Amino acid sequence: MVITQPTFGAEFDDLAPVARATDENLFATMMASFDAAAARLGLDPSLYAILRKPDREIHVAVPTPLDGGGLSVFDGFRVQHNAGKGPYFGPLRLSGTLTVDELRALAAWMTWKCALLDIPFGGSAGGIRIDPGERSETEVERAVRRYVSCLLSDIGQDHDVFSSDMATDERVMAWVMDTVSMHSRFTENAVVCGKPIELGGTQGHSDAVAQGLRTILTRALELAGLPERGAEVMIQGAGSRGGNVARLLDGEHKIVGLSDVHGALYNAKGLAHGPILDWRERHGDLRGCTGDFERITNEEMLGRPCDVFIPCAVDTTVNQKNAPSLAARLVVEGAHGPVSANADKILEKRGVRVVPDILATGGGAIVNYFEWVQNRAGYAWSLDRVHKRMARMLDSAWSEVTTIAGEQSVPLRTAAHMLAVRRVAQADRVRGLYA
Amino acid sequence: MSKVSSVAPPQSLQDEFNPFLSMAKGFDTAADHLGLDEGVREVLRRPDREMTVAIPVVMDDGSMRVFTGYRVQHNFSRGPCKGGIRYAPDVNLDEIRALAAWMTWKCAVVDIPFGGAKGGVICDPRQLSQGELERITRRYTAAIMDILGPDRDVPAPDVNTNEQTMAWIMDTYSMHVRRTTTAIVTGKPLSIGGSRGRTEATGRGVMLICREALKKIGLRPEKTRVVVQGSGNVGGIGAMLLHREGYRVISLSDMYGSIVDEKGLDVPAVLAHLKKNKKLEGFPGARTLAGLTEQLELDCDVLVPAAVENQITSKNADKIQAKLIVEGANGPTTFAASEMLDRRGVVVVPDILANAGGVTVSYFEWVQDRMGYFWTEERVNSTLEQIMVKSFQDVDAVAHQYKVSLRIAAYILAIDRVAAVHRMRGIFA
Repeated sequence: MVITQPTFGAEFDDLAPVARATDENLFATMMASFDAAAARLGLDPSLYAILRKPDREIHVAVPTPLDGGGLSVFDGFRVQHNAGKGPYFGPLRLSGTLTVDELRALAAWMTWKCALLDIPFGGSAGGIRIDPGERSETEVERAVRRYVSCLLSDIGQDHDVFSSDMATDERVMAWVMDTVSMHSRFTENAVVCGKPIELGGTQGHSDAVAQGLRTILTRALELAGLPERGAEVMIQGAGSRGGNVARLLDGEHKIVGLSDVHGALYNAKGLAHGPILDWRERHGDLRGCTGDFERITNEEMLGRPCDVFIPCAVDTTVNQKNAPSLAARLVVEGAHGPVSANADKILEKRGVRVVPDILATGGGAIVNYFEWVQNRAGYAWSLDRVHKRMARMLDSAWSEVTTIAGEQSVPLRTAAHMLAVRRVAQADRVRGLYA
Repeated sequence: MSKVSSVAPPQSLQDEFNPFLSMAKGFDTAADHLGLDEGVREVLRRPDREMTVAIPVVMDDGSMRVFTGYRVQHNFSRGPCKGGIRYAPDVNLDEIRALAAWMTWKCAVVDIPFGGAKGGVICDPRQLSQGELERITRRYTAAIMDILGPDRDVPAPDVNTNEQTMAWIMDTYSMHVRRTTTAIVTGKPLSIGGSRGRTEATGRGVMLICREALKKIGLRPEKTRVVVQGSGNVGGIGAMLLHREGYRVISLSDMYGSIVDEKGLDVPAVLAHLKKNKKLEGFPGARTLAGLTEQLELDCDVLVPAAVENQITSKNADKIQAKLIVEGANGPTTFAASEMLDRRGVVVVPDILANAGGVTVSYFEWVQDRMGYFWTEERVNSTLEQIMVKSFQDVDAVAHQYKVSLRIAAYILAIDRVAAVHRMRGIFA
């Protein structure tokens, strides 16, 4: 995607700029899905106008003392898209290249994802434009705590709830929880999800996305008429998400490809992914890893034959350039927006079914939601209960989405967004406009 | 709050047909059985708090009108207040007071952690546009907001208010407090924190109570002939569920009259016919009875009055042939009629027990909203069943212990529960 760092003023001139058809970035991808669903639903123009813009965007300066003396002022953002169905809920992201556009897209996506899965939340997204790799832990901690205190009147368990994301692990979420609680003068843990178990985290958080993806994959294979066991699977991304997916699918399916940012490993007869993932954990990437496989580029990997391609890494992996030659028969999106809107159209024409991100990665949002429920109740669930309830919610969303797709003859992505947009519009409609 | 002055109901309300007087008589009889001291009696007779508010509203034609709204909180010893909000031209403070007290007893009988409240706005919804109704609702909510809250007072739909009204209340409150507060009101649409199974909750409760009471009498479902007065949310759904359980529903009624088939009606078909034709008359294979009270005197085992108040009075009580009466409506039996039936050994399950299914599922909605986690319909129904069965057994046990009717037993149980909390909590200065 094109990374832009516009100045403060420019970012707020137009709350949600209209995406151009040629754009291939997160926001354009999200808007394309939303527009397709809204058009198909015949959405009331006034509701369309409300839903295409975030409710609110907050930009804060985050002054942070540096370890060596001196001070840096980072930019912090929180975009709150829609609260019709409940408190805002969305990722907290630390990234040196963070843009408001990507947060707008993520915030809206969270709205659709929660509505689709019947989670009583609206969507939001936020973060600090800081590169955690280049900063010490204490600097990051100070920036996060200052950022949280800047937003205190805009977050809360019934107001806006943070979830973990890129570069925000348990440790970061614990700082958030502590900062809010110290200001409130009481333990307040439901304001942030992805916490350590000791502070009210939930069972099943670490591999929630992979667990959910596996549930959805089973149903998707059935729909696509592919074998329910022993399918050839290619996974882009060998980090925690891609790695978890590989581990969970082990034994049920054959992993033929695995990649990271530097390149891909491929073996049509199946990869011994165990040693590969161990290598990745020890060394941080796959360079230098040896074994029975062919080393190819990420682009080459997309052209290799397989049943299922699961992109678990960055957005816009599949774009208008490589979509015509993608060899997989089924794509299950394991990250946000890996298939651009233009690529989506090409794949649809070619008959390649795409299971959309908001459904396939739903396990993460569901388990975060469960953490919030457990914190509110002050009662923790067993792992078994978490898994059972997650599977129930995903199965129900899957059934509703495939029903709409069948009845309306639309792709799964449009069907999922139709269901989501309809639910949010319904909530906004019954609540009415309040002055 | 100097509005409360008299302990006795106003003179105008003192006749057999005043359901609130019936309630007051039930209360007094039960209090005597409990040997309740005069102080506690007086506390429980009057509302804890009453609020009257002016509701200025800009009408569609640009003019301004000021409506009057009330919220009466009868008792909040056992938990936050719970009770409906009604919109009607004849809303008055006396009626709201009585209904608020009724809610206190109803919540106590089924042992849910609420006190009783009621509210209303004097207006004629048929003369108002949707926009005007929305503005009335939002201004009324804002005016009484200080005494509302998930832990203070939780409204619900009542006469002429519905899901949409509740959605406006939820939105107004949430916008004022700057956070999503679904637990502020129950009876909301599913999309913003409503509960599954709520629409049929009262009817389901009536069915469960019938089943439990018939077990006591020893009647088998297929041998049991049931007459249901009404065919709406309570009567219609109650009849449908009784039919599904294998009971023989032989008669249903609407505002024009009733239909009868001694062999048993196909209730789903009857309700489909009613939906299509807007009246029961003409349902194939059933005979029609004109008038509202003839139906009540039919030869049957169970009578479920689920329409309006004052249907069984001293005039027709001796003509009732049913062995069991389950009050689906509020106050369908006058106190005098109740005593006559009691003398004849007819079992009457009182309204505050029989139709408490509705408030019980409202309670579930509040619980789910507080957790933020929503139950399946099966879970709602099975938890409702547990509560209704337990409540019936509790009331029945009290009836045996004190050798009183189920009505007096229900009041004894409710008053005892509220009074016990009063004594434990003490008086806070």
